[in-house]
Amino acid sequence: MLGVYDFCGHYEWTFAWLHAQGGPNLVRAFWDQAIHMDSQRHACDLILRNGIDGMAQYWGHTLNHEGAGFHTTSTEQVFRIDMQACPSKGFLLRNHLLQYPDYCDHCIGWIGPMMKEAGFVVDHQHNHCGQCWWEFRRALDRTPPSKPGALAGEEDVRLRPGWQPEKQSTDTFRRANNVEEKDSGLNQS
Amino acid sequence: MNTASNPQPQVELPYTDTKPVGAADFYFAINATFRFVLQKLGLAGLRRYWTELGTHYFAAVSEGWRRRGLEGVAAYWRAFFAAEPGAEVNVHAGEQTVTLEVKVCPAIRHLRDHGREIVPCFCQHCYFVSEAMAAPAGLTVRIEGGNGSCRQTFARRESRLPPQDLASIKEAAC
Repeated sequence: MLGVYDFCGHYEWTFAWLHAQGGPNLVRAFWDQAIHMDSQRHACDLILRNGIDGMAQYWGHTLNHEGAGFHTTSTEQVFRIDMQACPSKGFLLRNHLLQYPDYCDHCIGWIGPMMKEAGFVVDHQHNHCGQCWWEFRRALDRTPPSKPGALAGEEDVRLRPGWQPEKQSTDTFRRANNVEEKDSGLNQS
Repeated sequence: MNTASNPQPQVELPYTDTKPVGAADFYFAINATFRFVLQKLGLAGLRRYWTELGTHYFAAVSEGWRRRGLEGVAAYWRAFFAAEPGAEVNVHAGEQTVTLEVKVCPAIRHLRDHGREIVPCFCQHCYFVSEAMAAPAGLTVRIEGGNGSCRQTFARRESRLPPQDLASIKEAAC
């Protein structure tokens, strides 16, 4: 039986398997169709119905359930997540599991299209070490991503010792809705 | 019940986590993955996915079974189900076989509780994944039942059990 205790391990293995079957397009279709539209349809329902409040409801539940080290900040205009210890990437790092070149891409792979459907765009960075941040704003809102500490104060992951973009391979997404919009190597902090 | 009998499940599992049991909502993703692979690659592709997952991802488990035999099989499944939320499973270890008496399958229960459409051949994954894990260890598995409860029997390959009859694995439904 496939279990959920080591879910992130076989989930990551599956990305590599799908890539071998059908290349990157099949992996992207998987994140969109299987995860966004099927597995996580409860998230989609909440966020389409309740916008930023729905994001707070969804991530409050799911990140607590997964045992994440995280902080969320919510205003009328923006929902921000600071992930200080990603339970999913952390599981892979602790267990030395690496089959797919960028596991972290799966999040924007399903969240990006979901946010597009809900009328939001995504500013996001991940450092492949279990830390990332996200800001979701309505598509018509042209506000740039916040400066470190401006929204989340000392909870901003960019102010934590583990966030070292000059030493890490940091991927950046600006006003994005899918994984192809990655700005690799643009180490803005 | 094994859900309460092993406070440190990770000692018998190849991968460790910081929390004692997994997050049940991941069963949604497992079910959705099967549906996606079935739609894109057909039933043969889905069975190949299960088999290759069993062979490659679970290679460390197979190696443990090869070294320890049926005792390792029993220890693994006790630890496995202790870490699955909502599982009610008895593991019977005998001289010739290890039998998993799955009274409540945690995946089917969670999917059903949340009104998820379950891929009809969902329960076949247990056969294809476990058989691929068992074969390199000189073992084999037979499954009977499904759709929420089943019996899984692990034995040595030389015991020459009749081939798995896939018709004896029930289709899953909400």
